[in-house]
Amino acid sequence: MTPAWTLISAFAGALLVLLLPARSAGLARVIALAASIIGAVAAAAACLTKLQRLDAPAWSFDKPWIPELGIRFHLAADGLSLTLLLLTGLVAIAGVLFSWNVETRPRAFFAFFMTIIGGVYGVFLSRDGFLLFVFYEIVILPKYMLIAIWGSTNREYGAMKLTLYSIGSSALILIGLIVAYAAAGGTSFDLNDLASFKYAPGLQYWAFPILFLGFAVLAGIWPFHTWAPTGHVAAPTAASMLLAGVVMKLGAYGALCVAMPLFPLGFVEWRLVIAGLAVIGVIYGALTALQQKDLKFVIGYSSVSHMGLILLGLATATHWGLRGAVLQMISHGIIAGLLFGIAGRVVYARTHTRDFGALREFDLWRTLPGAAVAFTVATAASMGLPGFSGFVAEVAVVIGVWQSYPWLLLPVAVGLIVTGAFSLRAMHRAFFPERPPGVAPAPPLPPLTWPEISAISLLSIFSLAIGIYPLPWVTLIDDGLRSPLFHSILSLP
Amino acid sequence: MNYSALFIQLLPEAVLVITALLLLGVAVAVEAKTQRPMPIDLTIVISAMGIATACAALCYCPASFESGTSLLAMDPLARLFKAVVLMLGLLAVLLPPARNEIKQPGEFHALLLFALTGLLLTVGTVNLLFLFVALELASLSLYLLAGFSRTAKASEAALKYFLFGGVSAAFFLFGLSLVYGFCHTLLLPDIAAKLLATGPLPAYAVVGLVMVVVGLGFKLAAAPFHYWAPDVYEGAPATSVGLIAAASKAVGVLVLVRLLLMGFKEAGGSAAWGAMQPGWSLWLGVLAAVSMVFGNVLALAQTSVRRLLAYSAVANTGYLLVALAANGTMAAGSALFYVVVYGLATFGALAVTAAVERDRGDDSLGSFAGLVHRSPLQALALLVFLTSLAGVPPLAGFVGKFVMFSAAMAETTNHGTPGLTWLVGLAAIMSAISLYYYLMVLKQAFVREAADPRPVAMSTSHRLAVLVPALLVVVLGLFPALLLSPLAAALEATLGFGK
Repeated sequence: MTPAWTLISAFAGALLVLLLPARSAGLARVIALAASIIGAVAAAAACLTKLQRLDAPAWSFDKPWIPELGIRFHLAADGLSLTLLLLTGLVAIAGVLFSWNVETRPRAFFAFFMTIIGGVYGVFLSRDGFLLFVFYEIVILPKYMLIAIWGSTNREYGAMKLTLYSIGSSALILIGLIVAYAAAGGTSFDLNDLASFKYAPGLQYWAFPILFLGFAVLAGIWPFHTWAPTGHVAAPTAASMLLAGVVMKLGAYGALCVAMPLFPLGFVEWRLVIAGLAVIGVIYGALTALQQKDLKFVIGYSSVSHMGLILLGLATATHWGLRGAVLQMISHGIIAGLLFGIAGRVVYARTHTRDFGALREFDLWRTLPGAAVAFTVATAASMGLPGFSGFVAEVAVVIGVWQSYPWLLLPVAVGLIVTGAFSLRAMHRAFFPERPPGVAPAPPLPPLTWPEISAISLLSIFSLAIGIYPLPWVTLIDDGLRSPLFHSILSLP
Repeated sequence: MNYSALFIQLLPEAVLVITALLLLGVAVAVEAKTQRPMPIDLTIVISAMGIATACAALCYCPASFESGTSLLAMDPLARLFKAVVLMLGLLAVLLPPARNEIKQPGEFHALLLFALTGLLLTVGTVNLLFLFVALELASLSLYLLAGFSRTAKASEAALKYFLFGGVSAAFFLFGLSLVYGFCHTLLLPDIAAKLLATGPLPAYAVVGLVMVVVGLGFKLAAAPFHYWAPDVYEGAPATSVGLIAAASKAVGVLVLVRLLLMGFKEAGGSAAWGAMQPGWSLWLGVLAAVSMVFGNVLALAQTSVRRLLAYSAVANTGYLLVALAANGTMAAGSALFYVVVYGLATFGALAVTAAVERDRGDDSLGSFAGLVHRSPLQALALLVFLTSLAGVPPLAGFVGKFVMFSAAMAETTNHGTPGLTWLVGLAAIMSAISLYYYLMVLKQAFVREAADPRPVAMSTSHRLAVLVPALLVVVLGLFPALLLSPLAAALEATLGFGK
């Protein structure tokens, strides 16, 4: 199975779901699950093949598309892309499982869901600027529909805000890409061609922030992060998982694999600003999460904080920093999926509240012990306890920061401490509340269903696996970082 | 002059005129016999067959042709674009006028065919005077079509359209006379040669060229010459609006391309940042910026979907002018591609709007509520049209915009100079803003619930008028080279021929 099967399975799944007759709408989730599993298996198989033969040439597919402008349908998968494909596959499976109970318009729901998955796969596979942008933008409309139709709290507002931020940042990316294309002679949109062109320093100085900001908004860079918490909270569970788990990673991936390689000199000029904004994001997100009363808002702001760590890793421009950033993308993708799944699906579907005050009455650790255990595991991973993926990623980023900006370690440490604080607080308030003695025991809640248990186990196992044995992941990421795209960045003084 | 060759060259136009006369005759005969007007379905079938025959006749015409007259040109561009205009015209015919509005469908469709004839003649000429006459033939028919339903709104629309169109024609003609005074020729290739030989235009010829561009700006609904558009889009019969929005606009862009790139390429100046030089590039750049800002901002406040589409038309004219302002062959070719896919999407959106309007009584945003439950296929088509207009991939509108902006940038930058970045940047941001108002319509159609879940009633040809453009927008989005490559090649060949 080539990595192309990820793309094919997702879009074929979306189409198949859409074409289902109305009376067999219940089949939609089965088809979506099958398509997600095919995608994840294809990604996993490709990862394993790559690990066995690291020096084998990367898989690629290259056909002319719009010859007048030198636009090609160029897909390729190096180790870095493969790890992110696998992450997408995992989150897709978990997302379908956590949406097993969607009863309103299931065909449309899973069609939009699979379209987002397909777009994300496409971005990770694209090696042509135009193609990457196509996949990048494909996800915008389904995001809007998923939130506006199936969402909760303030859904139309959250959906519109998120969409406007997305499309606005896309406009910046469009400008940046076209500037790069035109300045390089207007003959090719291939990212390798664009990255090997030596742009004038003056052009890089103004073009880099445009292109980088376009991607960074989607990665939730402070102060353009406000779409993320409102959007994540308003979204239905599967969409929150996708948004925080993989769609935000598109922004970070674009910053890493498009903005930075295209304009390395511009990156050098701006990297301190990026690092500063990233650190502010880490601390600001954590502090805001510390004050939330809604469980989903806590997770939403924690995403801002964790994404800040990714951007910080990128800004270090060291091998460790980039490696840590990609590890953090994968780790946060898994953990955010897990947290949103438990908060949005497991808890909310049973209690119909996410407010800490109201949750206290349910005494969740007695009435829903499975969820309490799962959330404890997820919290530990999110805090970066050793043994979980978050730890590995944070250590790598911190080493990168030490090599580039040692004085930034102090604020980063503050941010990590506050992260621990808000994680523990949220877990404590939501699942282990103190109930005064003598209060009547909370009414029993239905136990976890098999789709929930499978999704939780899948994500937890991968977080643990990365934490305990990160070597294969690091090997794959390093393979990607050896690409000529990153030569100019990693050879910086 | 070889008259038989001339006839072969004019065969498509001749077929259209004959069909129109036939329609008028049949309409009179049917009305005399049955005391009732001709049935709409019959007129649609006859006109559609006429257009199909004209298409076949176009294919029968040899590719390169010398009929011995300078009035008509049969260059590759004319040939290809005539086919495109015929296709857009065929779609307009398929969209039936509302039964309670149009009392004489025979006359209505005959006028539509006359308008189409005028548009075809406009496409196939490089003679300025003939261009004007052909454009007026199309315009006069369009004025009548706009007011044909004789409602108060339609009359207002037709009057505004006529007054603005008349003024623009006056501008156009006066400008031409000044240009003629300098060049002593009406043929675009000769004008280009003259400009090459004599250098920059004298002041009065520049005034003439400005007037010509202003005259065409009216036709294209470029701000600030767009005031007729919202009223016409709102008040005129949907079929007429479909023709004005798609075929007529496409021809307007083609005329601009021919005029400016074929005749006045040397007088272009530059709109590039930091290297601006007086010339039509700069005027078009300013017009583009004003149109994009005006159209998009005003569209945000609309509650009538037809008016919203009118302001979106103004905004889209802005994007097209960005590409034309680059004064380059590839940018112009992609503008031609974009105006076609824009026409398809706008036409389709109008067709869905017409269906909803006839079902619900008005075209307010609220009438679209729950469309996905009432008519899923129409709602899906509306999604395709509006997201294509907003520039969301993988639809044709996205590819068109991307290609236009890339080509415009590539043809104006030189070793890292900013070139048209200011315009392209503004266009990208304005295009992002436009998603908001298109989403307002889609939100009604997909998110809100319908008060009345009855499906929207539509005739078969109306369905075709929705589904065919939807299919084309998707196909051209996935495989843009199908239309873009021939257009670019034809333009290249035609401009090369002109030199």
